[in-house]
Amino acid sequence: MRNLIALLVVLPALAFAQRPVIEISGANFRPMPLAVAVPQTQDEGAKTAAVEFDAALTFDLAACGLFQVLDRKSFLADPKEGVTASTIAFPRWTDVGAESLIKTQLSVDGANLRGDLRLFAVAAGREELKITETVPLKDSRKLAHKLANAVYKHFTRETGPFETRITYTRKSASGRDVYVSDWDGKNAQRITNGDVNVLPALIPGGGVAFTSYRSKKPFLFVSRGGEPVQLIGKGSMVTGAAFSPDGKRVAVSVSEGENAELFVANADGSALTKLTDSKFFLNTSPTWSPDGKRLAFVSNRDGNPQIYVMNADGSGQKRLTFQGNYNTTPSWSPRGDLIAFTARDERNAFDLFTVNVDTKKVTRLTQDASGNEEPVFSPNGRLIMFTSTRGGGRGLYVMTFDGNNQIALPMDKGDLTTPDWAN
Amino acid sequence: MTAARAASLLDDRPSALPVFIGVSVVGHVLAVVVWLVASWLIAGPKVELEQKPIKASLVRLGKKRDDKLLPRMEAEAPPPKPKVEQVTVPAPVPADTAVKIPTKDVKPEKSAPKEDGAKDGKKSLFNALASAGKAAKAEELEGDPDGDKDGDSAIQEGERYFGLLKSVVRRNYDVSNTIDETERIRLKANVALRIGAQGELIDVVLTKPSGNELFDSAVIGAVKKAAPFTAPPEHLRGALKKDGVELVFSP
Repeated sequence: MRNLIALLVVLPALAFAQRPVIEISGANFRPMPLAVAVPQTQDEGAKTAAVEFDAALTFDLAACGLFQVLDRKSFLADPKEGVTASTIAFPRWTDVGAESLIKTQLSVDGANLRGDLRLFAVAAGREELKITETVPLKDSRKLAHKLANAVYKHFTRETGPFETRITYTRKSASGRDVYVSDWDGKNAQRITNGDVNVLPALIPGGGVAFTSYRSKKPFLFVSRGGEPVQLIGKGSMVTGAAFSPDGKRVAVSVSEGENAELFVANADGSALTKLTDSKFFLNTSPTWSPDGKRLAFVSNRDGNPQIYVMNADGSGQKRLTFQGNYNTTPSWSPRGDLIAFTARDERNAFDLFTVNVDTKKVTRLTQDASGNEEPVFSPNGRLIMFTSTRGGGRGLYVMTFDGNNQIALPMDKGDLTTPDWAN
Repeated sequence: MTAARAASLLDDRPSALPVFIGVSVVGHVLAVVVWLVASWLIAGPKVELEQKPIKASLVRLGKKRDDKLLPRMEAEAPPPKPKVEQVTVPAPVPADTAVKIPTKDVKPEKSAPKEDGAKDGKKSLFNALASAGKAAKAEELEGDPDGDKDGDSAIQEGERYFGLLKSVVRRNYDVSNTIDETERIRLKANVALRIGAQGELIDVVLTKPSGNELFDSAVIGAVKKAAPFTAPPEHLRGALKKDGVELVFSP
């Protein structure tokens, strides 16, 4: 009993003797410093493939906004250092500021190229991820994209954007052609050959649709690998094709006389149904919400181009943007919360913004960097691709959805316009 | 006989136990009722566990931007101009040893023309204002004459050394943005550190992990990068060396 009483007296005293507590908040969230070692190759064939592989892997990781890929010139580790945790001198990687380290090995296996990637937590000196992928020998970039996706998924638990496709137009001698390429602009394939072809849109499941002047009037055509065929021909012009996320419907803008109205049709062009009916005004650039239940579009029904939202059957049309007097080219985030758009500000500069669909809050993404237009979200909603004239000619750029980490795609600038991005 | 009866367990004897139990039950019931009523009367605000973080900022003095205009990004403050040491180079003075020889052509030097009084007064007032403007120093931040160059608050609160410690650790509090936004809100990690008499970091341990390894290594990294610290004051040295201090990190 005496002991119990003594304990009851001592315990509060012990409690008072505990160490002082300081609360700290306001972390600086920043890209993770990541070291990507030069790929190690085991034979001559792999050595050739390693150049493209290395360029693709490094670009993927640098452009996704999650990592700060460290300059190899700063590396202190022996280039011939091993690829297993026991053979890596981690303090040398810590000294250059790396928090994570990627080591890759390439080898030729018959007609295939095999890639092994290991990801290490530098401070802990521990292997975090080991992944192996095999592709045909000519597809070294594809191998890099697959491995980069695995790293992306390891950190975010989301599918990475590195095996996705983009489409865009490039000015040609006789007009403008449509191209489809990997997400980084490489492996580009020309879809059209001559005439003026504009506003391409990727079709979920494969193929690309675009407005072409190849017939008498600019109507909507579709290419699924072969010769383009007309999908929708109505009025004087059919533009701005946007396929619903499930790929079953397509929304377009049809010009008739002085005005342009929005229509929706089945993916094969049948059952064309009018959605808007605002005589003497323009309704263009439809973009689907990720659930396929709503559409955002541009209309000048209130005097100047603004972003509007409506249900997929045309009901419930509401204005979304009230700031600025020239807002165009909306792209609805696959996450559903944001719509990116181009706006001309009071200084007559074209820049990119997002508007929150629920709160209507407008956020600027680009500023004081020449002209920036035509944003489109990545399929996972984490990145935005856009065109910019900041590097001379109009080229394709990518940035995070909040406007950070703006990077040019590694491709020739040549008056590239209207990108679209899909799986 | 009497003694035997007194010792018998079978014999009925008056006992205070039922009364005690009854009083105890009534007492406990009353206590619970009082507690319930009191907690109902002085109930605090309802805690929303899934509450989103509140962002607050103080608007600066200036012209309000038209609501109809598109937003502009905050311009970053220009970096402070590097201090240029003004080295005054003395102008070469001609040797004054030669004796001037007067010549016939030399005209007497004209004295500087005097401006009229009113004009002169205005000008001097302008000059005075201009020089006063030039001489005016940039507005100093609010602080304390005894404040610290590393301090980041206008007022002193609590133990000064702990404020300094917090400030220097927070400057190194870098967290990887690979951590998903939805997870960030739930992160919290406790770190205990001990500091030596010269401000050196004796040891740092994660006493309560957040569950996210990246965040945990970031908070440990923040402490290690911030070390060594300023030497603690005399009255804290013993406690900081023996018991240390606990830092609670949240994003």
